[in-house]
Amino acid sequence: MPEATTSPAPSTVRPPFTPWDRRDLPGMFDVNETARRVGNYKWTEMKLFEALGGWIATVPELDVKMRLGTHCYHHAWHAELWEKRLPELREMKTERLTVPANEAMERFISAMTEPEAPELTIEKLVGVYRVLIPRSIAAYTYHRNNTSEITDAPTIRSINFILQDEFDDWRDGEMMLQSLISTPDEIRRAAAHQQRLEAIMVEAGGITGPGSIGHGGNTESDSASTESAGGSTESEGDT
Amino acid sequence: MRQFFPVEDLARDERFVQTNMAERLADTRTARPERVPKSKSRAASAKLTPDRREASDAARGLMHGIMTGEIQALEGAGRTAHDFAAGDGTNDTIPFELKLDMARQAWDEARHVEISAKLSDWMGTELGEFAENTVLFSAACSDDPVLRLAGVNRALEGLAIDVFTQMKEFGDLAGDPFLEFCEDWMLADEVTHVKMGSDWLRKVTANDPDRRAKALEFQRVVDKLFSFGGLRGDSDESPIALARRFRELAGFSDDEVEVISEMDRDALEERKAQVQLAQEAAGLQPEPV
Repeated sequence: MPEATTSPAPSTVRPPFTPWDRRDLPGMFDVNETARRVGNYKWTEMKLFEALGGWIATVPELDVKMRLGTHCYHHAWHAELWEKRLPELREMKTERLTVPANEAMERFISAMTEPEAPELTIEKLVGVYRVLIPRSIAAYTYHRNNTSEITDAPTIRSINFILQDEFDDWRDGEMMLQSLISTPDEIRRAAAHQQRLEAIMVEAGGITGPGSIGHGGNTESDSASTESAGGSTESEGDT
Repeated sequence: MRQFFPVEDLARDERFVQTNMAERLADTRTARPERVPKSKSRAASAKLTPDRREASDAARGLMHGIMTGEIQALEGAGRTAHDFAAGDGTNDTIPFELKLDMARQAWDEARHVEISAKLSDWMGTELGEFAENTVLFSAACSDDPVLRLAGVNRALEGLAIDVFTQMKEFGDLAGDPFLEFCEDWMLADEVTHVKMGSDWLRKVTANDPDRRAKALEFQRVVDKLFSFGGLRGDSDESPIALARRFRELAGFSDDEVEVISEMDRDALEERKAQVQLAQEAAGLQPEPV
């Protein structure tokens, strides 16, 4: 051990937050609302990985077949992340909150998974990559940007991992679609199917229902709780 | 989308030609002649080695078979993730974690298709050059998920362990580092899949011995199908060796490996007897090696 010196030790006193750490305490969602949204996320991710898994055998295009297998696991992993998060949000019976946001969301998944015939690859991909995944990206982004950066850090961490997958998968899916759509009839088919599914999704209000991205439902409550910044995290959800 | 998807409806592009086990077994062109080993030399063995006259075509055919098998394994894992709701394992449900494992397997199998498609190209094979045997997906069509685990994960993925071990050895002997490297990686995944099947089979049937017995019986049927003609076994006369060590890692007990080995031996003897009868009927002497 070195000998003690006579000069005083340098101070170790530092503020709890460094100057570059700008995280805020307030957030828009309380524990219950976060759990509700996470339950909707898990349900949606489950339906998505089941659909992708089921479709693998139904598409004749070899490259699409392989991408569906890869993406199937991505969404299964997302569902697993949410399954693990639910008990941390005081929901021990995770299946209780593993539900669709509403009846329209359930109807959306039924309509999205309807195409089965081998000549319907465009419809299968349109439902996932032009409707559901863009909606998921929107809902996740809204959640990440509006929840408490300190109290809800575990959800933000999961969302960041998930968003990385979602963006990559969306790009894969969109490029597969662009390579498959080459005739006026295929353009019409893609657009018609997207329009049909989008209408149901609008009715659902997004993957967590009205307020998935802040609009619709309880928007006044949203802004009120954001403004009550003094540190309270007991804001209302925006349902 | 239907809950269950029949093997006849598997979607393929026009390059692929499908066949099934019944057609293959009924095709007399696939019968191998009885050989009388002259010595203990490598040539006396039926193993796939680079010095064999037909080694190149045999390896290309085997690699193409691996690729189509991987496509069906991908499809089968995807269907099991889809076909059964999450639950406690009874009444047409499977545990949520088993669904996750099946999705993970789908990703692994997708990579295996990518790997074997690139290796096939590297070996000078075109997609669809060889017929596709749809036996693997047939085993993934049962309405009991436990039978799928027994037939696909334990029997057929178990066979994949044997085949990949053989191909890895072939790559080593042929001085093909790409082949050896890729087979080694795929072998690691297959051991994981077989172990997954072993573990889930035990868990899901822990309180249902009848269901477990039925699943293991189905596994024996599938194993026997692939013992046909002694194709796989411990004998030098079998082209594919039983990879005992990797099977052990994958959760097979010593007894289970012995049963498969015995089944392989019986199948080999059965084939030899059949060939001998046919040769006698035709007035031929056994063909020297």
